[in-house]
Amino acid sequence: MEETITRNNYSEKEKNDIFNGEFLPHINSMYNFGFRLTLDRDDAKDLVQDTYLKAYRFIESFQKGTNAKAWLFRILKNSFINDYRKKTKEPSKVDYQEVETYYNSEDVNRQITPDLRVESLKDMIGDEISNALNSLDVDFRTVIILCDLEGFKYEEMAKILDIPIGTVRSRLHRARNLLKEKLSEYAKSMGYKNTEL
Amino acid sequence: MTPPNNPFIQADGKKPTCMEMLQVIIDGEATNEQQEYFKNHMDRCLPCFKSYDLDMAIKRLLKTKCCGSDAPTDLVEQIKMQISQNTPS
Ligand SMILES: [Zn+2]
Repeated sequence: MEETITRNNYSEKEKNDIFNGEFLPHINSMYNFGFRLTLDRDDAKDLVQDTYLKAYRFIESFQKGTNAKAWLFRILKNSFINDYRKKTKEPSKVDYQEVETYYNSEDVNRQITPDLRVESLKDMIGDEISNALNSLDVDFRTVIILCDLEGFKYEEMAKILDIPIGTVRSRLHRARNLLKEKLSEYAKSMGYKNTEL
Repeated sequence: MTPPNNPFIQADGKKPTCMEMLQVIIDGEATNEQQEYFKNHMDRCLPCFKSYDLDMAIKRLLKTKCCGSDAPTDLVEQIKMQISQNTPS
């Protein structure tokens, strides 16, 4: 956290005000993020609890009134990588060499999933989209959670994930294509034909 | 009638692809100028026109269907308890 080297000397009351007023309101988003990362409710609970304890411990490196949600999400993401990912031994499948290539490739306008239509989405009651999201590799899942579920801006995502904005964009692009592939598989299995719009 | 400048062109002068423009629009990162430009572009570009609806629909679906897991009710209490135990007052 290069921009947070400055330490703030908060009084006990200020600490509690920040914690209750700026940190705790994000508990549901944090829990959802934790759950989407770990795919387990108990792990999510532990992860969120852990994150909030760390947030309190390092509260003096948080500048009151700034982006608490992004700050908390970054701690949670780091805790997940350091504590949980190791445990599950899940290797990252994101090919970091490849992330920038879509900007240069000739076929960027090729429609990857021409068979996926807006109509076929209408009958997805929630499980399908949720399962499709959960099936993505965690790095791809994460950018979709941050962008589409939580509405973070590219710049905030870059800070949360410690990656350049260009990588945020390209990873998001690939993540969405993978998600569409999954969704079109579901759509196909639900019996949708290639009907005209 | 082509607009004089594509506001999506970055400092390096590289022409953006449809996908790149669409992504900026979908994610609400576009400037007013870029939105205006893309609206015109979409009228002439069928792939963008189709992708726009689909991408927006997926984004909405994700937001409404994948955000529902509220934290367990006792979580906040547990966190507060842990903190008060760890901070001698
Ligand atoms: Zn286009």
